Amino acid sequence: VYQVFESVAKKYDIMNDSMTLGIHRVWKDILMHKMNPSPGTLLLDVAGGTGDIAFRFINYVRSVRERQLQQKLKHHQNLSWQEISESYQEDKFKSLGDSQVVVCDINKEMLKVGKQKAQHLGYSEGLSWVLGNAEELPFDDDKFDVYTIAFGIRNVTRIDLALQEAYRVLKPGGRFLCLEFSHVSNPLLSRLYDIYSFQVIPVLGEVIAGDWKSYQYLVESIRRFPPQEELKAMIEDAGFLKVDYQNLNLGIVAIHSGFKL
Amino acid sequence: VVRCQLSSPQRPLQASAVLRRVSDEQKKEPLASSSQQQFDSHPTDPQPEQEPQGPRPSYTGQGGQESEDYESEEQLQHRILTAALEFVPEHGWTAEAIAEGAKTLGLSVAAAGMFHSDGSELILHFVSQCNTKLSELLEQEQKLVQLGEAEKKPTDQFLRDAVEARLRMLIPYIEKWPQALSILLLPHNIPSSLNLLTSMIDDIWHYAGDQSTDFNWYTRRAVLTGIYNTTELVMMQDSSPDFEDTWRFLENRVADAMNMGDTANQVQSTGEALVQGLMGAAVTVSN
Repeated sequence: VYQVFESVAKKYDIMNDSMTLGIHRVWKDILMHKMNPSPGTLLLDVAGGTGDIAFRFINYVRSVRERQLQQKLKHHQNLSWQEISESYQEDKFKSLGDSQVVVCDINKEMLKVGKQKAQHLGYSEGLSWVLGNAEELPFDDDKFDVYTIAFGIRNVTRIDLALQEAYRVLKPGGRFLCLEFSHVSNPLLSRLYDIYSFQVIPVLGEVIAGDWKSYQYLVESIRRFPPQEELKAMIEDAGFLKVDYQNLNLGIVAIHSGFKL
Repeated sequence: VVRCQLSSPQRPLQASAVLRRVSDEQKKEPLASSSQQQFDSHPTDPQPEQEPQGPRPSYTGQGGQESEDYESEEQLQHRILTAALEFVPEHGWTAEAIAEGAKTLGLSVAAAGMFHSDGSELILHFVSQCNTKLSELLEQEQKLVQLGEAEKKPTDQFLRDAVEARLRMLIPYIEKWPQALSILLLPHNIPSSLNLLTSMIDDIWHYAGDQSTDFNWYTRRAVLTGIYNTTELVMMQDSSPDFEDTWRFLENRVADAMNMGDTANQVQSTGEALVQGLMGAAVTVSN
């Protein structure tokens, strides 16, 4: 698995766009909306390599924070100029409101690409990049508000260990969110999806990334991944409560959510 | 006095991080659940003369794996919502208020994700709480009357007092209440909010001593619902000291409602007289 992603790292984003026809951006946006993070949230994005989720998180939190500040200003109608300028000063330095995201990935190459992207797009504060294994996270207990793993959990050898680690590092009340390819129950769509997956994707892989095998692996790993209900049961076994899932695009992708209560 | 410490036997991997043992909340002895096989509501109790204390937690899903002594997720949700209420004046009926509430309980702000992001559950929880408080209030008053310690109020006075008591519960949140009303009108909330409204109105009539089972039952509910809703709206815009204008409005509406009964009779008798007159005229004409 490591080597797959080593070779894939640089072209990862391009391949994502072409394989999913750009819809993966929408999926990730939906994930962010579901999370609805408030400023001050500490997010751990596992297998987050190239930083898609992390950047979206920062954007979201920034806009929520702006709205909050505007609301506060509306209530400050009667302040003197002195007080207003003072409040501007202190709020300027907290444009993220203390929110932070830690991107953790097992693969150095993916992290490198992510860091470069961050620099390129101008993301500087609130981001950390950590090398780590989802089955054995290098973090203390009860640390994070939200744990996300987007399109990463199917690459984990022992999913139950990863889930247990997720439970461990989350604060009480914390949320586990998993975005992953899943099982399509509609038979017609299922057939079309199969044809697309096995015929088109590896070809794209060869043409764009020069790598047929990795994308063959990708498609097969999707098929082997447990379906929605099974994953839900696994998440519950790790100790999460209020576990639920939401199918996107009729089951091509599903978002599972659970709380550490 | 033996305190039995229970672990959660059905979940071998993790004990629940947050769901409190119900026994922690109680000052008296906890239930001694003998074996995990017993999902019945009467475990053998070492002190049989004591009644089981406190609310019984509901058995939640997870394959019925909740140990009896842990509070259910629902109870935790209620606790979070109650804690969130104190942040409503500042943040409104929003997910932010819920997040702040969760923080005061020692939970992560992400716990607000358990609820709908428009704050509906918070509002419904509040309304339900108010209705419960109202019922308790009316129950106590009724007891006093039964014990002979208080006079039974005439119906119009009773209705006025009940509606006023219920509306006064909104006063701490009055600034954000219009927002709440509009959220309650959203299609996905209407069944629940309507339910809460009708059961509250039923309650008031019940304690007012309404025993009728005829057509009047519906008219009375409709009338009181109308009075309540219009008074609530008036209250939103009222800026008089201690909402005097609102209570005067309420008084007038209740008086109108009482007179309506008489008016209906009058209309009926006028109608009859009219008909008879017409009949007479017709007979005269035909002759």
